[in-house]
Amino acid sequence: MLNISKLEVSVEENKILKGLDLSIGSGEVHAIMGPNGSGKSTIAHTLAGNPNYTVDSGNVLFKEKDLLNLDPSERSLEGLFLAFQYPIELPGVSNASYLKQIVNVHRKYKGEDPIDASEFLKILKEKSSNLNIPIDMHSRFVNTGFSGGEKKKNEVLQMDLLNPNLVIMDETDSGLDVDALRQTSGAVNQLRSSNRSFIIITHYLRLLEYIEPNFVHVFQDGKIIDSGGKELANKIDTEGYAT
Amino acid sequence: MNKLNSKISTQDCFIEVVSDDVIITNNCNEIKHQVSENKGCIYLDIRVSESKIIPRITFKIKREDFISIQLKLTLLNGAKLEILDESEYMHGTKMEFITELGKRSSFELYRLNIFNELTENSYLHQCRLSKDCVFKDFNFTNGSKLMKNETEVSLADENAKYIGSGVVITNSTNCDNSLKINHISPSAISDCSFKTVSRGNANVTFNGKVIVRENCNNSVSSQISKGLIMDENANVNLIPELEISNDDVVCSHGAASGKPDENVLFYLTSRGISRKEAEKVYIQGFLGEFVDKIDNAQMKAKAKQFISQNS
Repeated sequence: MLNISKLEVSVEENKILKGLDLSIGSGEVHAIMGPNGSGKSTIAHTLAGNPNYTVDSGNVLFKEKDLLNLDPSERSLEGLFLAFQYPIELPGVSNASYLKQIVNVHRKYKGEDPIDASEFLKILKEKSSNLNIPIDMHSRFVNTGFSGGEKKKNEVLQMDLLNPNLVIMDETDSGLDVDALRQTSGAVNQLRSSNRSFIIITHYLRLLEYIEPNFVHVFQDGKIIDSGGKELANKIDTEGYAT
Repeated sequence: MNKLNSKISTQDCFIEVVSDDVIITNNCNEIKHQVSENKGCIYLDIRVSESKIIPRITFKIKREDFISIQLKLTLLNGAKLEILDESEYMHGTKMEFITELGKRSSFELYRLNIFNELTENSYLHQCRLSKDCVFKDFNFTNGSKLMKNETEVSLADENAKYIGSGVVITNSTNCDNSLKINHISPSAISDCSFKTVSRGNANVTFNGKVIVRENCNNSVSSQISKGLIMDENANVNLIPELEISNDDVVCSHGAASGKPDENVLFYLTSRGISRKEAEKVYIQGFLGEFVDKIDNAQMKAKAKQFISQNS
């Protein structure tokens, strides 16, 4: 699914990623844990194509394509989805019309007709219900005035609607209370399948208690310094990163 | 809802200007009018009396040459009127409106106009508001080579209220917009906003002046102007001016212009929307907040459609 090789990335001439190697197979869930400022979000934004992040060297293959040659919208259309740590507010655009637009953009790319309004509403109601999102939230402007939890749920909802192959969750658990974390994790677990992979970036073990990872990587100083199974997350939870 | 309100309905009147003829259809009894023409200049004198219906005049200008229209509009005490101008002006225009609003009257003006980008156009509206009347003034335009929009509002009596908004979306224009609000009576209200999206080599100016005279206690005035600069050579000049001569007032103003937020554009493109479409969504969002000020559902839908087609 994804093969990252010797990736080096800078932000405003500060080297953040210093030779990242990571391979992710179809259906696998990889957790990336690391202390603040270690560069975890840089991985997420670089893969999604954020122009603020400059790739200095290395390569990334996504479904056998050179990911770094694609612009952000092409990466999305090819099946990559980034759930933002800080979802962006978009005043003046209703959430419902935005969600319908992104669904239709993906349908068009696949050669499908735009979704019928009543069919979209039916799907939106069903998927919102799974995440305990009130339907009237969609008449509000995108993420504007949403609570932290509502914003994160809206990210997971977009993921569900777009049906991606590779999902990168950038600290989706931050800002969620216990119930919201359980609902969000439940929705993510329902989306796990043999042709969908996940990169879960988190500080804490608690998210990984709901979403069981196949692999855990410890990320520090711009590279992976240790990899293992879930037991590695348990070790970090008790001993911290310093040891 | 009381009995009187429950009987209020709308009745449409269409004014079509075709060639040298002015055709008025479905005219309702509450509107009295006189039309005359002199060398390409059309004079309309319209008086509206109080009634239980809300007349709506829809302008449909189809003339195939430069047009000059002078409109004198009088709303008598308690009268209500909506004017909708959705004309596409392809050959240049000169418009002069003079509006007198009587006590307790209500006037809503919606101008959603497309202009030929190569033409020159001017619009001057002078209006005087009496006690307890409301004027809602919404202007949407794509701009043109040379455009001058000028509105002067006199709040001449207590509780007169002006809500005015202008939107210019343009890529080939020198567009001067001027809005002068004159509080000449106590306890009047003005609420003005102006937004522009400037593209290509466009140069858009907004001069918003609010004058509150010495005797005008309890005046309330708000003015917001915002510009979105989409291209390197586009320009926006926002000039708020306040002359407040009374301490017992609530007056606020704000002006801001800049380029689109790249973080927002990245968020949109990360969902599969192309950069070009993302900019369009951004513009619709920028102006969408503003459209929410329109409480007439039918007009709000028309304004949204106008923005969608021109962003």
